[in-house]
Amino acid sequence: MYGSTFGHQMVQSELEEIVGANYVRADEVSRLVYSTDWSWMPQMWLDRGQPTPQPDFIVHPGSAEEIAEILRIANKYHIPVVPWGGGSGTQGGAAPVYGGIIVDTKRLNRILNIDEKSLTVTAQAGVIGTQLEWALNERGLTLPHYPASANCATVGGYLAPRGTGTISTKYGKAEDMVLSMQVVLPNGEIVRTPVVPQHAAGPDWFRLFLGAEGTFGIITEATLQVDYMPESRLLRAVLFSSLTDALEAGRLMMTRRLQPFVIRLYDPASTASVVHEILGYDFEGAYMVIGFDGDPDIAALQEQKAMEICVGLGARDLGRERGEKWWAHRYDFYYPPQTLKLPWMYGTTETVTTYDKIEALYWAQKRAIEETYRAQKIRYIGHFSHWFHWGAMLYSRFIIEQPPADAQEALALHNRVWNTAMTAVIDNGGMINEHHGIGLKLARFMRRQYGESWPFLLRIKETLDPNGIMNPGKTGF
Amino acid sequence: MSSSHPPIDPAQATDPIRATDNCRYCLMCRHVCPVGEVTKLESLSPHGWALTIASQRRGLIEWNTDSVGALYHCADCGLCRANCVTDQPLPNAIVAARNQVVESGLAPRPLYTLADALAHWGNPYAEQMPVQPTGAGEVALFVGDEAMYRWPAALEAATRLLEIIGIKPVLVGRGRNNGYLASSLGFAAVAHDLIAATIAEVAAVGARRLLVLAPADLYAFGDLAGERLQLKLPEGVVLEAVTDVLDNALQAGQLALRHAEQLAAWAYVDPTHSARIGRSGDAPRRLGAALGGEPLELFWRRERAHPSGATALRFSLPHMAYLLAQARLQDAQRQGAQIVVTEAPGDLAILSEVAPRLGMRVQGLYELLASQLV
Repeated sequence: MYGSTFGHQMVQSELEEIVGANYVRADEVSRLVYSTDWSWMPQMWLDRGQPTPQPDFIVHPGSAEEIAEILRIANKYHIPVVPWGGGSGTQGGAAPVYGGIIVDTKRLNRILNIDEKSLTVTAQAGVIGTQLEWALNERGLTLPHYPASANCATVGGYLAPRGTGTISTKYGKAEDMVLSMQVVLPNGEIVRTPVVPQHAAGPDWFRLFLGAEGTFGIITEATLQVDYMPESRLLRAVLFSSLTDALEAGRLMMTRRLQPFVIRLYDPASTASVVHEILGYDFEGAYMVIGFDGDPDIAALQEQKAMEICVGLGARDLGRERGEKWWAHRYDFYYPPQTLKLPWMYGTTETVTTYDKIEALYWAQKRAIEETYRAQKIRYIGHFSHWFHWGAMLYSRFIIEQPPADAQEALALHNRVWNTAMTAVIDNGGMINEHHGIGLKLARFMRRQYGESWPFLLRIKETLDPNGIMNPGKTGF
Repeated sequence: MSSSHPPIDPAQATDPIRATDNCRYCLMCRHVCPVGEVTKLESLSPHGWALTIASQRRGLIEWNTDSVGALYHCADCGLCRANCVTDQPLPNAIVAARNQVVESGLAPRPLYTLADALAHWGNPYAEQMPVQPTGAGEVALFVGDEAMYRWPAALEAATRLLEIIGIKPVLVGRGRNNGYLASSLGFAAVAHDLIAATIAEVAAVGARRLLVLAPADLYAFGDLAGERLQLKLPEGVVLEAVTDVLDNALQAGQLALRHAEQLAAWAYVDPTHSARIGRSGDAPRRLGAALGGEPLELFWRRERAHPSGATALRFSLPHMAYLLAQARLQDAQRQGAQIVVTEAPGDLAILSEVAPRLGMRVQGLYELLASQLV
């Protein structure tokens, strides 16, 4: 019924009865704009004048209860539902490839409570990151999740793909900040996870929804841990001639628990391109920015220890100004025309693994991409930006400046490059993603990533969403 | 050395619409768009407009009632550009697209009638021609149409305050729109003629300083005139806000004010276009504070100050303009304010239309200052 004009109108009427006619859109412009998120594939498709798969309806619910009703209707008619926060995903996670209903959560935009004693904020899922940050800043607080997408991404969008921000090295990923959530399950049930995550009252089921990218339900509210605005932030830049030494310096800073809030290590190719273009520095080697924050005395001591490590491994101290300039302009990389943009072909093939494997993985991925696509004059750049006690994240990117003009050929080549990049990741002990999520782009690699465990994940999906309505085609489901 | 991004399209320098190719997939100003904030719709936000225009150029959509309706939802407030690290001129691109829509005869019909009124009478409010300036002088004050027809008290108070500090300006542009309205709606030729007429008056009276009552006028005779219409003020003429002139006088001890007892719990509303001209907003706040007590601050203030609805939306989509005005007042209410204060006649007019519904009061800054002169 849903596929017919008659059925379409019936569904629209039912949706309007839930949220009001003003909050259901099916006009040409809205369907076009919601047909692409921040991923290269649909953007390229539209750039070449090709229509993308479009949603049938864009619905703006004002409460979890309304979302529950929408999902009941979607189940009744077996209509795909795609949750939408800010549309800033790079993996096609919000692309409505099977049409259906986009549930835009931005009307869920209330900050419900700021607890200045426990240092938590409870917010609805549709609050935009920067707006939440401004509100916290007025109380001297900060949510220490600083993704480049904060100006458009929502709280729900922070959590659903397990996002990471610039200062994650000290403060953790978005998922590490969440205490509890309200989630609407695919069948319309509304559940609340326990009030705190660290307990022993049964398994850690709330994490099921982190990284599920809306395939297990829609996050509608979250309580997040916040911090005081740091008293001080010390930034410094160093230059290594050897990437190996630079990686070792990062490892030592982390394993000795010096608590840098940032270690941003650019590989030589990025140092020569990105750092040169945005910051205006001409360095050969691996440019690294390190930062320490909080109590100024402690931060200064931590920085001193870190510098001893770096200098001991042959780094050249570039001083504070070159670190501060990077911090001041850290998001400039993401504004056009400074960001990667069409007509180029590009992709962020980021990964994460343990220290014993990370450098080998970098070289393996770089070699595989550069050698396989030499004819296409592919470029490979990378930086290491999220560090853990046990390993680091490699933010690698490929760029082809003159991709095929034909949209289908371009998409096919894009997919081949990703195959090469992800094969190198899996073969070298990495995870196929660290923080952008799986979305559409990496869905086909999930089975390989999880191997024997994949059927277990599939059974969870089938139990929670037996009709497969939630964000179909994403995260491998 | 390899580049980190594609070269900038050289056509962008001459064709403002091409800026949409940069903005169509960029979401970095999403958080400051006042229309996006009110509607929560991606299609009615900066990248939505950019993608719509870029898609029309690529033949993916046509200009029709739906798409033109979306195009006219942009408030042309400049928040997106003001918050763009690379200064992408998206508002100009949207206006350039509207120019094309207007020329194709596809804009909403009432707008053509409005443009005719602007072309003939110089304003959309009264069938009266602008009043010609009398006399000559070093200092001119642009009156415009909103201070003439919508909020005359602001003009009266501002001229009194200026007189106190020894400035007796020649009034220019009395009853004439500053050109923003026509420009914003896509009637470039009408906008050109309106601004050119005011520039001619400034030249004719021999002014070296052009004072204005509102940030909207600073924008119209500054960036708008230059970027969209290739017009500029006569050589050597300095454009100044009356609030800055008064603030300087206050700092210099030339302006003495009594405390205003009735001003408990008031908030200052940065007028529409404040953010796009990079105005700090310190001057009106200092003037207000001289009346006693620091103003309460809105969440959407200073560099992120949302418009109050005193944009072309008042004529193209009045309900959206009122929603923006309501949002300003609700913002003030959330901060604990019962009174909002601002200086721009257009903002005062629309805020005062909405305020009674929320049980709030609107006060003109110039009137307030003039009432407290020692």
